[in-house]
Amino acid sequence: MIYRTVGQFKTSYRRDQALFPVRQDAFLLGVILIFAWVIFPLTASEFAFQTLLIPILIYALAAMGLNILTGYAGQLSLGTGAFMGVGAYACYKLITIFPWMNPIVAILLSGVFSAGVGVMFGIPSLRIKGFYLAIATLAAQFFLVWLFEKWAWLYNYNASGAIQVPNLEMFGVFVSGPQATSMTQYFIVLAIVSLMTVLCINLTRGNQGRIWKATRDMDIAAELIGINLMKSKLTAFAVSSYIIGVAGALFVFMWRGAAEPNLFDIPLSFRVLFIAIIGGLGSIMGNYLGAILIVGLPVVLNIVPEAMGLDIKSATVEHLNIMIVGALIIFFLIIEPHGLAALWRLVREKLILWPFPH
Amino acid sequence: MRYWKTLTAAAVIASLGGAALAEEIYVPNLSYRTGPFAATGIPLMNGQKDYFEMLNARDGGIGGVKIAFEECETGYSTEKGVECYEKTKGNAVITQPWSTGITLQVLPKTNVDEIPLLANGYGFSPMADGKTFQWAFNAPAGYWDAASMLVSYIDGQGGIAGKKIAFLHLDHPYGKEPIPLFEKKAAELGFEFLPIPVGLKEMQNQSAQWLQIRRERPDYVLMWGWGAMNAGAITEAVKTKFDMSKFIGVWWSGHDADLALVGDAGKGYKSISWSFPNADAGVMADIKTHVVDAGKSLSNPEEMSGVFYGRGLVMSMILAEGIAAAQAEYGTGVITPAQLRWGLENLNITEARLAELGMEGMVPPFSTSCANHTGHSGGWILEWDGSKFVKASDHIMPDTSDYAELIAEKAAEYASANAPWPVNESCDAMN
Repeated sequence: MIYRTVGQFKTSYRRDQALFPVRQDAFLLGVILIFAWVIFPLTASEFAFQTLLIPILIYALAAMGLNILTGYAGQLSLGTGAFMGVGAYACYKLITIFPWMNPIVAILLSGVFSAGVGVMFGIPSLRIKGFYLAIATLAAQFFLVWLFEKWAWLYNYNASGAIQVPNLEMFGVFVSGPQATSMTQYFIVLAIVSLMTVLCINLTRGNQGRIWKATRDMDIAAELIGINLMKSKLTAFAVSSYIIGVAGALFVFMWRGAAEPNLFDIPLSFRVLFIAIIGGLGSIMGNYLGAILIVGLPVVLNIVPEAMGLDIKSATVEHLNIMIVGALIIFFLIIEPHGLAALWRLVREKLILWPFPH
Repeated sequence: MRYWKTLTAAAVIASLGGAALAEEIYVPNLSYRTGPFAATGIPLMNGQKDYFEMLNARDGGIGGVKIAFEECETGYSTEKGVECYEKTKGNAVITQPWSTGITLQVLPKTNVDEIPLLANGYGFSPMADGKTFQWAFNAPAGYWDAASMLVSYIDGQGGIAGKKIAFLHLDHPYGKEPIPLFEKKAAELGFEFLPIPVGLKEMQNQSAQWLQIRRERPDYVLMWGWGAMNAGAITEAVKTKFDMSKFIGVWWSGHDADLALVGDAGKGYKSISWSFPNADAGVMADIKTHVVDAGKSLSNPEEMSGVFYGRGLVMSMILAEGIAAAQAEYGTGVITPAQLRWGLENLNITEARLAELGMEGMVPPFSTSCANHTGHSGGWILEWDGSKFVKASDHIMPDTSDYAELIAEKAAEYASANAPWPVNESCDAMN
């Protein structure tokens, strides 16, 4: 009923290939954008900014980076956390070496470093596949975290061994560090994440995306039809690591404010991988749905008992939370193994046909 | 529809409850009763909680105002820590961050949010400089205090010159912090200093480190360990038959449960500590009547006789004394965070005051000022006698002149890296 496509005629190929061939999709996206750009900033509290809005966007971006590599190009990677770390440390060094640099430029530039590192660790992908490649990227994870600990130059020989985000100004407004307001940081994160999302959507729909998908589905066949596998795999590593690096820089500069090396250890990689898998591999929207489930839901569940006036011990709430989120993950994967994005696709198709199921 | 009504009703009740809270002082604690470090966290959290429960039951709070002591569970995760900080900071008079990671995260925000940060015996040693770190406290002692006390203790045991000292530490900001001071003292006093890092991933399997220790044959092994690393090191030391009396840990490496694993074999193991459990103290009797017998305690007798539970009590006592000092100064019951900061800057815990509180011998006397946010209480060497820790030395004091410069230098570095960083100009006391 709501999704009725009757009467929406496509009179040209161009319109049939548009981003939103169905008008309701565009409308829905518009509503979400209005929420993200206007309604949330106007109504959100400091708590909501810091624990829901900003982290969900950043994790979604990191998952999007991983999704390009794993979901579109089919190269399994367990090094996401470390590549985020490269972005964060690169941004920190850029800011401290060139204090006059615009913070947003620094964040976007720091992705270049992680892209470089990503390509380097992606070289084994030319020879090995699947789980074996995952082990090779695991090496990146261990090596890079070790490097963040041992190479004191990276954290400017700080006594605490951690990086601290300085107060950075842009046009007279603090954008990072303790003096920055959550609202400013949210808008910067939102702008960068939106920009990256548009780029990713177009990249994956275009020629490059098709090359990646061909590589993923069957690399020998792809090679036979003239795809250069080396170029295809390495560009996937580069683009993916670039996005992950930017996410890492945002992670530390726009949200955490400080970072120790072990922050970028394996648990972070797994977290991002879970977001990508539960959201749906090979989908852009899935990353957001996954991030909402994995990052946002526990926070919301944590405040429910208090809001209901129930007196439950904080530790008990935490235990319950872990159980509920775990159960939900299993539930969603059982009803739709291809992730939340596939679930939405299914619901949407049913809605278009509704009320006639066949 | 009915659900919405119930929900609205619940919300209304909750908001009314919020209004009734006004006559309380809200003291949150970012606890970790879950996660990988829960074993060490639980006794500390229980001690902290029971002390405030006891004050509420016995005296009706502090200065007649009830203390709303509430835990927010972090599981020692920095991410959850930030969530808890944002959740509690609205009404809180204090932040007790409970992990180095969360401390580093919250520290820069203290100047903006103006809520004191209390990290008893952990956190960032330069926080001792109260002029720079206006809102941060790590009373009663920091890690450089511990390093200084250990050096003077070993020196008192037949001279440190010419000895070889191995430093087994967690390869993490926490473990690395005392190294500059040890290196400085090694050059001055002529002992050989050998740092041996233990990575976060090798905490439970330290065979490589202990092989190195066996090869190097150090006279002493000092340990800055946490969580699983302590038990790992102690069992490994027993296995390699290292002389336990030459093995000394920092205060976070003196957990009864870690030593109970090896029992008699751990006899002689030492730990420097600024707290000591005194089962005969008045405060323990009060907790027994008002908290344990009332069924409000989450602890058990075995845990309550341990070092970490006693330390939890001392931590809450320090905070409670700060609140009381602030109430007396400003003549008000419900204090603000800024007033509590004054209270914590003007702590004066004397022997007489400890006797009044019923905490004789549980912490050395100390005092703070606006320039000195640590207090440098000194401490005791505790020794494991096979079943519990006993005091094995007199009160040892750190030589603060050794690292006053280091504190000033690192504090200035921090302030300049975080510019604009307001410092307390009105404070003219010396550190």
